[in-house]
Amino acid sequence: MPTEISQSETDPSSSSSSLRQQRQHQPAGRRIGFDEAREILQKWREENARCPEKVRDLWIHCLSKCKSLGDERWLIVEQVAMAGMDLHDTSLIKECLSILESKFPKSSRVRRLKVMANVEMRERYEEALKTYDAMIKKDEANSILYKRKIAILIAQKRTPEIIKELSEYLKKFMNDTEAWLELCDVYIQDQAYSKAAFCMEELIITNPHNHLYHQRFAEIQYTIGTTESLELARSYFAQAVKLNPSNLRALYGLQLTAYTLSNQPRTVSQKKKENAKISAWATTQITKLYQESNEKSLPVVESMMANLQL
Amino acid sequence: MEGNSYTLTSAMRSNMILLDYCKTSMSALSGFTAGVIGLYGAYGFIFYFLCAFLVWAMILIRMGPNYKKYFHKRITIFTNGLGSGLFTYVLFWTFLYGMVNVY
Amino acid sequence: MSELLLDTSIRAWVFLPIVIISFLFGILRHYVSILISSTKNIELHQVQDSQLLIRSRFLRENGKYIPKQSFLMRRHYLNNEETGYLKAGSRRPAQAPNPMSDPSMMTDMLKGNLTNVLPMILIGGWINWTFSGFVCTKVPFPLTLRFKPMLQRGIELMSLDASWVSSASWYFLNVFGLRSIYTLVLGENNAADQTRMMQDQMSGAAMAMPPDPKQAFKAEWEALEISNHQWALKNIENDFIGEKSNNQEVTPTS
Repeated sequence: MPTEISQSETDPSSSSSSLRQQRQHQPAGRRIGFDEAREILQKWREENARCPEKVRDLWIHCLSKCKSLGDERWLIVEQVAMAGMDLHDTSLIKECLSILESKFPKSSRVRRLKVMANVEMRERYEEALKTYDAMIKKDEANSILYKRKIAILIAQKRTPEIIKELSEYLKKFMNDTEAWLELCDVYIQDQAYSKAAFCMEELIITNPHNHLYHQRFAEIQYTIGTTESLELARSYFAQAVKLNPSNLRALYGLQLTAYTLSNQPRTVSQKKKENAKISAWATTQITKLYQESNEKSLPVVESMMANLQL
Repeated sequence: MEGNSYTLTSAMRSNMILLDYCKTSMSALSGFTAGVIGLYGAYGFIFYFLCAFLVWAMILIRMGPNYKKYFHKRITIFTNGLGSGLFTYVLFWTFLYGMVNVY
Repeated sequence: MSELLLDTSIRAWVFLPIVIISFLFGILRHYVSILISSTKNIELHQVQDSQLLIRSRFLRENGKYIPKQSFLMRRHYLNNEETGYLKAGSRRPAQAPNPMSDPSMMTDMLKGNLTNVLPMILIGGWINWTFSGFVCTKVPFPLTLRFKPMLQRGIELMSLDASWVSSASWYFLNVFGLRSIYTLVLGENNAADQTRMMQDQMSGAAMAMPPDPKQAFKAEWEALEISNHQWALKNIENDFIGEKSNNQEVTPTS
């Protein structure tokens, strides 16, 4: 069957998973065949999803004894090793690393895994940083090594240094969406909203069809809160709604921004009317969405809407 | 605005590769057939386009009405790889024709 | 059917062997090229250059989705006269890719020759030498006399019909016609390819780097300089209140 080409909707806040963890919950239970296990693992690899328990289970029950994986085997072993690190399962890590090491004795990728397992996992961060620096000197264009360094800084919560390293990194690898997202998050934590907005703009440029980017940018502008930025926020919430009409969060945002704008003291009355209209439209859309999904919640929503209009 | 630009290029490419596989297999097989039954001249080319059309129809039936999920336009499924497929077809046609009918 | 009768041993000892040889030889070449290809070590500035170009292209194409001020800011960053990245890049002295000074490039060139050109000549010559002078087969469609030198290499017979194919030409037909079969047999992105792709995830873009970055920077600078900003989101809300009435019938897809 051909692959679907329509865009999958990835949440911008959770797709940066080589820097952070993401967990997916799959219905567990039934026995999984060999091919299926392989496909699941491949899918998770592509999506950067981490579900360490499941990965370990699949490995132990289905794949560890299999010989017919071909070259894909090494990728799977690497994935399992990462899962082992997430679970602090030392025996599993050892098993995987020894498999990889006997196959690729000189690979820097295996070396990185080893550093992650033996140094980073034991929280000897300074040592890990030094090792990575040495490795970067040998292989300057390896983006993953830089990312590991940044991940260590994140683990230590050294915000100013995270920002510095990330900006340095982004000067070199300008199109790394994960890193832009991470930087955006850090700036938001730091309450440097205009800088965070810059990062989101960068993400919008790389993928203007992701409604979540637009929504996020609008949220940042809404948080800044001046009249101009509120207008920007309204536009971007509207764009997010346009791209995905069932994006409830963007609808709420649109409703709130339009409402706030319509109550702004120094605007022209015509604009006020427009904003009131938009706000009303968003309200009806929201109620409709709730109506479709769940009849019972409708009164709650309506009373909440009334509260919001206060 | 631009209804067909919400696409994943990687998925798009893998679909195209799959389509290429189909087309190559189709041209090779139809070349075999044409050679064995000894089609000559224009009939052979007509046979090729007939086969390409058949495969196109089969793919369309398989995908059903929501072909937009997998490809932008229906016609690209037909035209894609038609020329290079013809090359393969002619080779196999000549090969089998020579094997069966010339000697 | 054919006015010429060919000996069946030509089929067994010329016609078929050529097909088999050219097919197997293609496969062999594929594996040999995998065997001797070296993993290129990409340098940091190459990655940076290619990423810069991609970003600039994104800005040109999708700049309409960000506010005007942000667009101008980015364009200034890339394009301004003194410090702009693209400007600096196009002013940078072009390092002439001299194969003699760079030994790795020379070996690469040699390897390319080894796998592509040299075997072509060798096998072609060998086939020409071993199987020369046979009329092999006949194409199943009539052809004009123009095709004679193409299809009847090695045979100078004026009276022979143009649709007869000589052995040397049969080999070349095979070489060209089997190309798409190779992708079918060997696979376009088999497991080995995928591993390689994942190894240099980000830097993969650097492979597509044009040989002369200076030219690319200059072209990109010009393209960006003339690109204007038309905000795509202007008055977007009016769509909602304008088509409010008919939009409500449309059930939102989830």
